[in-house]
Amino acid sequence: MADRVADLAAGVAAETPRPAGLSASAEAEDLGAPLYVAWQITNECNLACLHCIEESGPGKAFRDELDAAGVIAVIDELMDNDVPYLSFSGGEPMLHPHFFAMVERVCSRGAELKIETNGHYLSVENCARMKSLGVKAVQVSLDGATAPAFQRMRVRGSFDVTVQGLRNLTAAGVPLEINFSPASFNAHEIGATVDLAYELGAYSFYTGRTMYTGNAVKAWRHLELPEARYEEFFAVLREKAIEYRGRMRVYFHEAGLLEELRYRLKHPAALLIVLPNGLVKLINALPFICGDLRREPLRDVWARFQRAWRDPRVAQFVDELAADPGRTRALHQWVHL
Amino acid sequence: MRLTKFVKFREEKFGGVLFETRSEKVFALNPTAAAVVREIAVGGDEDAIAARLTDSFAGPNGVIEREVRTFIAELRERGLLDG
Repeated sequence: MADRVADLAAGVAAETPRPAGLSASAEAEDLGAPLYVAWQITNECNLACLHCIEESGPGKAFRDELDAAGVIAVIDELMDNDVPYLSFSGGEPMLHPHFFAMVERVCSRGAELKIETNGHYLSVENCARMKSLGVKAVQVSLDGATAPAFQRMRVRGSFDVTVQGLRNLTAAGVPLEINFSPASFNAHEIGATVDLAYELGAYSFYTGRTMYTGNAVKAWRHLELPEARYEEFFAVLREKAIEYRGRMRVYFHEAGLLEELRYRLKHPAALLIVLPNGLVKLINALPFICGDLRREPLRDVWARFQRAWRDPRVAQFVDELAADPGRTRALHQWVHL
Repeated sequence: MRLTKFVKFREEKFGGVLFETRSEKVFALNPTAAAVVREIAVGGDEDAIAARLTDSFAGPNGVIEREVRTFIAELRERGLLDG
Protein backbone atom coordinates (compact mmCIF):
# COMPACT_ATOMS: atom_id res chain seq x y z
CA MET A 1 0.00 0.00 0.00
CA ALA A 2 1.48 3.29 -0.96
CA ASP A 3 -1.04 6.04 -0.43
CA ARG A 4 0.76 8.35 1.87
CA VAL A 5 -2.01 10.94 1.74
CA ALA A 6 -1.38 11.29 5.43
CA ASP A 7 2.34 10.77 5.27
CA LEU A 8 3.30 14.29 6.19
CA ALA A 9 0.70 14.45 8.89
CA ALA A 10 1.94 11.20 10.32
CA GLY A 11 5.43 12.59 10.60
CA VAL A 12 6.49 12.33 14.16
CA ALA A 13 5.73 15.60 15.82
CA ALA A 14 7.57 16.59 18.95
CA GLU A 15 5.38 17.53 21.83
CA THR A 16 6.46 18.27 25.33
CA PRO A 17 4.87 17.42 28.64
CA ARG A 18 5.22 20.55 30.68
CA PRO A 19 5.35 19.88 34.38
CA ALA A 20 7.20 22.69 36.08
CA GLY A 21 10.93 22.16 35.68
CA LEU A 22 10.58 18.91 33.79
CA SER A 23 10.21 19.93 30.20
CA ALA A 24 12.42 20.23 27.17
CA SER A 25 11.94 20.61 23.47
CA ALA A 26 12.90 17.94 20.98
CA GLU A 27 13.57 18.59 17.34
CA ALA A 28 14.92 15.96 14.98
CA GLU A 29 18.31 17.66 15.04
CA ASP A 30 18.55 17.08 18.79
CA LEU A 31 17.94 13.35 18.57
CA GLY A 32 20.63 10.69 18.32
CA ALA A 33 18.62 8.54 15.92
CA PRO A 34 15.25 8.58 14.18
CA LEU A 35 12.21 7.74 16.24
CA TYR A 36 10.28 6.33 13.34
CA VAL A 37 11.40 4.49 10.22
CA ALA A 38 8.81 4.14 7.46
CA TRP A 39 10.13 1.36 5.29
CA GLN A 40 8.73 0.66 1.85
CA ILE A 41 9.92 -2.95 1.85
CA THR A 42 8.95 -3.75 -1.74
CA ASN A 43 7.57 -1.94 -4.75
CA GLU A 44 5.76 -5.08 -5.89
CA CYS A 45 1.99 -4.94 -5.56
CA ASN A 46 -1.01 -7.02 -6.54
CA LEU A 47 -2.98 -3.85 -7.26
CA ALA A 48 -2.37 -0.90 -9.57
CA CYS A 49 -4.08 1.94 -7.72
CA LEU A 50 -4.90 5.09 -9.64
CA HIS A 51 -3.23 7.38 -7.10
CA CYS A 52 -0.25 5.28 -6.01
CA ILE A 53 2.55 7.64 -5.06
CA GLU A 54 5.15 4.88 -5.48
CA GLU A 55 3.88 3.75 -8.90
CA SER A 56 3.74 0.25 -7.47
CA GLY A 57 1.99 -2.60 -9.22
CA PRO A 58 2.37 -6.13 -10.55
CA GLY A 59 5.94 -6.63 -11.75
CA LYS A 60 7.06 -3.28 -10.33
CA ALA A 61 9.55 -4.57 -7.74
CA PHE A 62 12.87 -2.72 -7.90
CA ARG A 63 15.58 -4.83 -9.49
CA ASP A 64 17.86 -4.15 -6.54
CA GLU A 65 15.52 -4.73 -3.62
CA LEU A 66 17.26 -5.98 -0.49
CA ASP A 67 17.63 -9.74 -0.15
CA ALA A 68 16.99 -11.82 2.97
CA ALA A 69 20.34 -11.03 4.54
CA GLY A 70 20.02 -7.37 3.55
CA VAL A 71 16.67 -6.79 5.22
CA ILE A 72 17.75 -8.49 8.44
CA ALA A 73 20.95 -6.44 8.47
CA VAL A 74 18.96 -3.22 8.13
CA ILE A 75 16.55 -4.25 10.89
CA ASP A 76 19.44 -5.10 13.21
CA GLU A 77 21.10 -1.77 12.46
CA LEU A 78 17.87 0.05 13.34
CA MET A 79 17.36 -1.97 16.50
CA ASP A 80 21.00 -1.53 17.58
CA ASN A 81 20.35 2.21 17.43
CA ASP A 82 17.17 2.02 19.52
CA VAL A 83 14.72 3.02 16.80
CA PRO A 84 11.48 2.40 18.70
CA TYR A 85 8.95 2.37 15.88
CA LEU A 86 8.83 1.05 12.31
CA SER A 87 6.22 0.68 9.64
CA PHE A 88 6.34 -1.68 6.68
CA SER A 89 4.62 -0.51 3.53
CA GLY A 90 5.04 -1.00 -0.19
CA GLY A 91 3.91 -1.79 -2.79
CA GLU A 92 2.13 -4.48 -0.88
CA PRO A 93 4.41 -5.40 2.03
CA MET A 94 2.80 -8.79 2.57
CA LEU A 95 4.07 -9.82 -0.87
CA HIS A 96 7.67 -9.48 0.30
CA PRO A 97 9.20 -12.98 0.28
CA HIS A 98 10.59 -12.50 3.79
CA PHE A 99 7.70 -10.51 5.24
CA PHE A 100 7.04 -12.63 8.32
CA ALA A 101 10.73 -13.13 9.04
CA MET A 102 11.08 -9.34 9.06
CA VAL A 103 8.03 -8.90 11.28
CA GLU A 104 9.37 -11.48 13.70
CA ARG A 105 12.80 -9.86 13.83
CA VAL A 106 11.44 -6.38 14.56
CA CYS A 107 8.94 -7.51 17.17
CA SER A 108 11.36 -9.87 18.91
CA ARG A 109 13.82 -7.02 19.31
CA GLY A 110 11.25 -4.91 21.10
CA ALA A 111 10.26 -2.22 18.60
CA GLU A 112 6.67 -1.40 17.74
CA LEU A 113 5.66 -2.28 14.19
CA LYS A 114 2.82 -1.10 12.00
CA ILE A 115 1.93 -2.79 8.71
CA GLU A 116 0.39 -0.67 5.94
CA THR A 117 -1.38 -3.01 3.54
CA ASN A 118 -4.11 -3.07 0.93
CA GLY A 119 -5.77 -5.81 2.97
CA HIS A 120 -5.89 -8.51 0.31
CA TYR A 121 -3.70 -10.98 2.21
CA LEU A 122 -5.32 -10.73 5.62
CA SER A 123 -6.32 -14.36 5.88
CA VAL A 124 -7.34 -15.81 9.22
CA GLU A 125 -3.94 -17.51 9.44
CA ASN A 126 -1.93 -14.40 8.60
CA CYS A 127 -3.88 -12.28 11.06
CA ALA A 128 -3.34 -14.83 13.82
CA ARG A 129 0.36 -14.87 13.02
CA MET A 130 0.61 -11.09 13.21
CA LYS A 131 -1.20 -11.13 16.52
CA SER A 132 1.10 -13.77 17.96
CA LEU A 133 4.20 -11.90 16.79
CA GLY A 134 2.99 -8.69 18.46
CA VAL A 135 2.31 -6.36 15.55
CA LYS A 136 1.24 -3.02 17.01
CA ALA A 137 -1.33 -2.16 14.33
CA VAL A 138 -2.29 -2.81 10.75
CA GLN A 139 -3.34 0.11 8.60
CA VAL A 140 -5.55 -0.81 5.66
CA SER A 141 -6.62 1.33 2.72
CA LEU A 142 -10.37 1.59 2.40
CA ASP A 143 -11.23 4.19 -0.21
CA GLY A 144 -14.96 3.95 -0.08
CA ALA A 145 -17.92 2.33 1.58
CA THR A 146 -19.04 0.58 -1.59
CA ALA A 147 -17.39 -1.76 -4.06
CA PRO A 148 -17.72 0.58 -7.09
CA ALA A 149 -15.93 3.50 -5.41
CA PHE A 150 -13.29 1.32 -3.78
CA GLN A 151 -12.53 -0.69 -6.89
CA ARG A 152 -12.31 2.34 -9.12
CA MET A 153 -9.36 3.53 -7.01
CA ARG A 154 -7.93 0.09 -6.26
CA VAL A 155 -7.50 -1.28 -9.76
CA ARG A 156 -7.48 -5.12 -9.61
CA GLY A 157 -8.67 -4.89 -6.01
CA SER A 158 -11.72 -6.36 -4.32
CA PHE A 159 -13.83 -4.50 -1.78
CA ASP A 160 -15.28 -7.73 -0.41
CA VAL A 161 -11.88 -9.36 0.06
CA THR A 162 -10.60 -6.26 1.83
CA VAL A 163 -13.58 -6.02 4.17
CA GLN A 164 -13.27 -9.72 4.99
CA GLY A 165 -9.59 -9.13 5.75
CA LEU A 166 -10.54 -6.33 8.12
CA ARG A 167 -12.97 -8.60 9.89
CA ASN A 168 -10.25 -11.26 10.17
CA LEU A 169 -7.89 -8.71 11.70
CA THR A 170 -10.25 -7.52 14.38
CA ALA A 171 -11.32 -11.10 15.12
CA ALA A 172 -7.66 -11.92 15.72
CA GLY A 173 -7.32 -8.93 18.03
CA VAL A 174 -4.89 -6.94 15.90
CA PRO A 175 -5.48 -3.17 16.27
CA LEU A 176 -6.84 -1.72 13.03
CA GLU A 177 -6.34 1.65 11.40
CA ILE A 178 -8.08 2.76 8.21
CA ASN A 179 -6.66 5.04 5.55
CA PHE A 180 -8.80 6.81 2.94
CA SER A 181 -7.53 8.57 -0.20
CA PRO A 182 -10.08 11.04 -1.59
CA ALA A 183 -10.89 11.45 -5.26
CA SER A 184 -13.73 12.88 -7.32
CA PHE A 185 -15.54 9.53 -7.37
CA ASN A 186 -15.31 8.53 -3.70
CA ALA A 187 -15.18 11.72 -1.61
CA HIS A 188 -18.95 11.68 -1.16
CA GLU A 189 -18.60 8.34 0.65
CA ILE A 190 -16.32 9.69 3.35
CA GLY A 191 -18.99 9.74 6.05
CA ALA A 192 -20.15 6.23 5.27
CA THR A 193 -16.56 5.00 5.16
CA VAL A 194 -15.84 6.44 8.61
CA ASP A 195 -18.96 4.66 9.86
CA LEU A 196 -17.86 1.42 8.21
CA ALA A 197 -14.38 1.71 9.71
CA TYR A 198 -15.90 1.98 13.17
CA GLU A 199 -18.25 -0.91 12.53
CA LEU A 200 -15.25 -3.00 11.47
CA GLY A 201 -13.45 -2.23 14.72
CA ALA A 202 -10.92 0.41 13.71
CA TYR A 203 -9.41 2.58 16.44
CA SER A 204 -8.06 5.25 14.05
CA PHE A 205 -9.10 6.71 10.72
CA TYR A 206 -6.68 8.74 8.59
CA THR A 207 -7.19 10.88 5.54
CA GLY A 208 -5.91 13.99 3.83
CA ARG A 209 -5.39 15.41 0.38
CA THR A 210 -4.36 13.05 -2.39
CA MET A 211 -1.03 14.07 -3.86
CA TYR A 212 -0.35 14.92 -7.48
CA THR A 213 2.50 12.51 -7.97
CA GLY A 214 3.22 8.93 -9.03
CA ASN A 215 0.32 7.25 -10.78
CA ALA A 216 -1.91 10.18 -9.85
CA VAL A 217 -0.20 12.37 -12.45
CA LYS A 218 -1.48 10.11 -15.22
CA ALA A 219 -4.91 9.63 -13.65
CA TRP A 220 -5.47 13.16 -12.35
CA ARG A 221 -8.46 13.86 -14.56
CA HIS A 222 -10.24 11.00 -12.77
CA LEU A 223 -8.97 11.86 -9.31
CA GLU A 224 -8.95 15.62 -9.00
CA LEU A 225 -11.18 16.94 -6.26
CA PRO A 226 -12.03 20.65 -6.57
CA GLU A 227 -11.42 22.83 -3.55
CA ALA A 228 -15.15 23.30 -2.94
CA ARG A 229 -15.55 19.55 -2.64
CA TYR A 230 -12.55 19.32 -0.33
CA GLU A 231 -14.34 21.83 1.90
CA GLU A 232 -17.40 19.56 2.00
CA PHE A 233 -15.14 16.56 2.57
CA PHE A 234 -13.43 18.13 5.58
CA ALA A 235 -16.73 19.44 6.94
CA VAL A 236 -18.02 15.87 7.11
CA LEU A 237 -14.82 14.77 8.81
CA ARG A 238 -15.11 17.49 11.43
CA GLU A 239 -18.57 16.19 12.28
CA LYS A 240 -17.37 12.59 12.33
CA ALA A 241 -14.45 13.46 14.59
CA ILE A 242 -16.94 14.78 17.12
CA GLU A 243 -19.36 11.90 16.64
CA TYR A 244 -16.69 9.27 17.29
CA ARG A 245 -14.76 11.12 19.99
CA GLY A 246 -13.65 8.65 22.65
CA ARG A 247 -14.45 5.67 20.43
CA MET A 248 -12.34 6.05 17.28
CA ARG A 249 -9.85 8.79 16.42
CA VAL A 250 -10.65 10.51 13.13
CA TYR A 251 -7.50 12.21 11.83
CA PHE A 252 -7.57 14.39 8.78
CA HIS A 253 -5.05 16.77 7.42
CA GLU A 254 -6.41 19.82 5.67
CA ALA A 255 -3.13 21.51 4.88
CA GLY A 256 -1.77 21.32 1.38
CA LEU A 257 1.57 19.84 0.48
CA LEU A 258 3.35 23.17 0.20
CA GLU A 259 2.31 24.30 3.65
CA GLU A 260 3.48 21.00 5.08
CA LEU A 261 6.84 21.14 3.37
CA ARG A 262 7.47 24.68 4.56
CA TYR A 263 6.76 23.52 8.10
CA ARG A 264 9.08 20.55 7.69
CA LEU A 265 11.90 22.77 6.47
CA LYS A 266 11.83 24.40 9.89
CA HIS A 267 10.85 21.32 11.87
CA PRO A 268 12.02 18.10 10.23
CA ALA A 269 10.23 15.02 11.52
CA ALA A 270 12.33 12.39 13.28
CA LEU A 271 11.35 10.05 10.50
CA LEU A 272 13.39 8.24 7.86
CA ILE A 273 11.78 6.93 4.69
CA VAL A 274 13.57 3.76 3.57
CA LEU A 275 13.12 2.48 0.02
CA PRO A 276 13.09 -1.22 -0.98
CA ASN A 277 16.76 -1.06 -2.00
CA GLY A 278 17.93 0.52 1.25
CA LEU A 279 18.19 4.09 -0.02
CA VAL A 280 16.83 6.69 2.37
CA LYS A 281 14.61 9.57 1.30
CA LEU A 282 14.46 12.89 3.06
CA ILE A 283 10.69 12.86 3.02
CA ASN A 284 8.19 11.13 0.80
CA ALA A 285 7.03 14.32 -0.88
CA LEU A 286 10.52 15.39 -1.99
CA PRO A 287 12.86 13.68 -4.47
CA PHE A 288 15.98 13.86 -2.31
CA ILE A 289 18.01 10.82 -1.26
CA CYS A 290 20.12 11.32 1.84
CA GLY A 291 21.63 7.93 2.57
CA ASP A 292 22.08 4.26 1.76
CA LEU A 293 21.57 1.71 4.51
CA ARG A 294 23.27 -0.99 2.42
CA ARG A 295 26.58 0.77 2.80
CA GLU A 296 26.36 3.24 5.64
CA PRO A 297 25.67 2.88 9.35
CA LEU A 298 22.46 4.48 10.55
CA ARG A 299 24.41 7.06 12.54
CA ASP A 300 25.96 8.45 9.32
CA VAL A 301 22.66 8.39 7.44
CA TRP A 302 20.94 10.18 10.31
CA ALA A 303 23.65 12.85 10.40
CA ARG A 304 23.26 13.41 6.65
CA PHE A 305 19.47 13.53 7.00
CA GLN A 306 19.84 16.29 9.58
CA ARG A 307 22.23 18.27 7.36
CA ALA A 308 20.15 17.67 4.24
CA TRP A 309 17.24 19.70 5.56
CA ARG A 310 19.53 22.71 5.50
CA ASP A 311 20.72 22.02 1.93
CA PRO A 312 19.71 24.99 -0.27
CA ARG A 313 18.50 22.62 -3.00
CA VAL A 314 15.75 21.40 -0.70
CA ALA A 315 14.44 24.88 0.10
CA GLN A 316 14.76 25.77 -3.58
CA PHE A 317 12.64 22.78 -4.60
CA VAL A 318 9.94 23.83 -2.13
CA ASP A 319 10.05 27.40 -3.50
CA GLU A 320 9.71 26.06 -7.04
CA LEU A 321 6.75 24.02 -5.92
CA ALA A 322 5.03 27.23 -4.87
CA ALA A 323 5.40 28.56 -8.40
CA ASP A 324 4.61 25.26 -10.10
CA PRO A 325 2.62 22.69 -8.06
CA GLY A 326 3.17 20.26 -10.93
CA ARG A 327 6.80 19.85 -9.80
CA THR A 328 5.56 16.95 -7.71
CA ARG A 329 5.36 14.92 -10.89
CA ALA A 330 9.15 14.67 -10.69
CA LEU A 331 9.36 13.14 -7.23
CA HIS A 332 10.62 9.88 -8.66
CA GLN A 333 13.58 11.54 -10.34
CA TRP A 334 15.80 11.09 -7.31
CA VAL A 335 18.36 13.70 -6.39
CA HIS A 336 21.24 12.41 -4.25
CA LEU A 337 22.31 14.96 -1.70
CA MET B 1 3.51 1.50 38.03
CA ARG B 2 4.93 1.13 34.52
CA LEU B 3 4.89 2.77 31.12
CA THR B 4 1.84 1.77 29.11
CA LYS B 5 2.19 -0.89 26.47
CA PHE B 6 2.74 1.32 23.46
CA VAL B 7 5.07 3.85 25.10
CA LYS B 8 8.77 3.66 24.30
CA PHE B 9 11.53 5.46 26.17
CA ARG B 10 14.91 6.37 24.73
CA GLU B 11 17.79 8.21 26.36
CA GLU B 12 19.07 11.28 24.55
CA LYS B 13 21.85 13.78 25.19
CA PHE B 14 19.30 16.31 26.41
CA GLY B 15 17.57 13.77 28.65
CA GLY B 16 15.22 11.46 26.82
CA VAL B 17 12.07 10.99 24.78
CA LEU B 18 8.86 9.14 25.37
CA PHE B 19 7.18 7.97 22.19
CA GLU B 20 3.51 7.06 22.40
CA THR B 21 3.32 4.88 19.33
CA ARG B 22 -0.47 4.58 19.08
CA SER B 23 -1.02 8.29 18.65
CA GLU B 24 2.54 8.77 17.27
CA LYS B 25 3.23 11.57 19.72
CA VAL B 26 6.66 12.32 21.08
CA PHE B 27 7.33 13.82 24.47
CA ALA B 28 10.71 15.34 25.22
CA LEU B 29 12.18 14.96 28.67
CA ASN B 30 14.85 16.95 30.43
CA PRO B 31 17.45 15.05 32.51
CA THR B 32 15.33 15.04 35.66
CA ALA B 33 12.25 13.79 33.85
CA ALA B 34 14.34 11.15 32.09
CA ALA B 35 15.66 10.04 35.46
CA VAL B 36 12.08 9.61 36.68
CA VAL B 37 11.24 7.44 33.68
CA ARG B 38 14.36 5.35 34.24
CA GLU B 39 13.27 4.78 37.82
CA ILE B 40 9.78 3.81 36.65
CA ALA B 41 11.39 1.24 34.38
CA VAL B 42 13.39 -0.12 37.32
CA GLY B 43 10.16 -0.47 39.30
CA GLY B 44 8.73 0.59 42.61
CA ASP B 45 5.93 2.86 43.72
CA GLU B 46 5.79 6.62 43.58
CA ASP B 47 7.09 7.10 47.12
CA ALA B 48 10.12 4.93 46.49
CA ILE B 49 10.92 6.68 43.21
CA ALA B 50 10.57 10.13 44.80
CA ALA B 51 12.85 9.07 47.66
CA ARG B 52 15.53 7.66 45.36
CA LEU B 53 15.57 10.79 43.18
CA THR B 54 15.64 13.12 46.15
CA ASP B 55 18.81 11.33 47.19
CA SER B 56 20.25 11.58 43.67
CA PHE B 57 19.51 15.22 42.83
CA ALA B 58 20.63 18.18 44.85
CA GLY B 59 17.89 20.74 45.35
CA PRO B 60 16.00 22.80 47.91
CA ASN B 61 14.09 20.80 50.46
CA GLY B 62 11.02 19.15 48.92
CA VAL B 63 11.43 20.59 45.45
CA ILE B 64 12.66 17.41 43.75
CA GLU B 65 9.98 15.31 45.38
CA ARG B 66 7.29 17.80 44.34
CA GLU B 67 8.54 17.86 40.76
CA VAL B 68 8.70 14.08 40.60
CA ARG B 69 5.13 13.75 41.82
CA THR B 70 3.92 16.45 39.43
CA PHE B 71 5.64 14.74 36.54
CA ILE B 72 4.25 11.31 37.40
CA ALA B 73 0.77 12.84 37.64
CA GLU B 74 1.21 14.34 34.19
CA LEU B 75 2.35 11.03 32.75
CA ARG B 76 -0.81 9.44 34.15
CA GLU B 77 -3.00 12.25 32.85
CA ARG B 78 -1.61 11.76 29.36
CA GLY B 79 -2.17 8.03 29.49
CA LEU B 80 1.53 7.21 29.40
CA LEU B 81 1.55 5.35 32.68
CA ASP B 82 -0.30 2.33 34.07
CA GLY B 83 -0.83 1.89 37.77
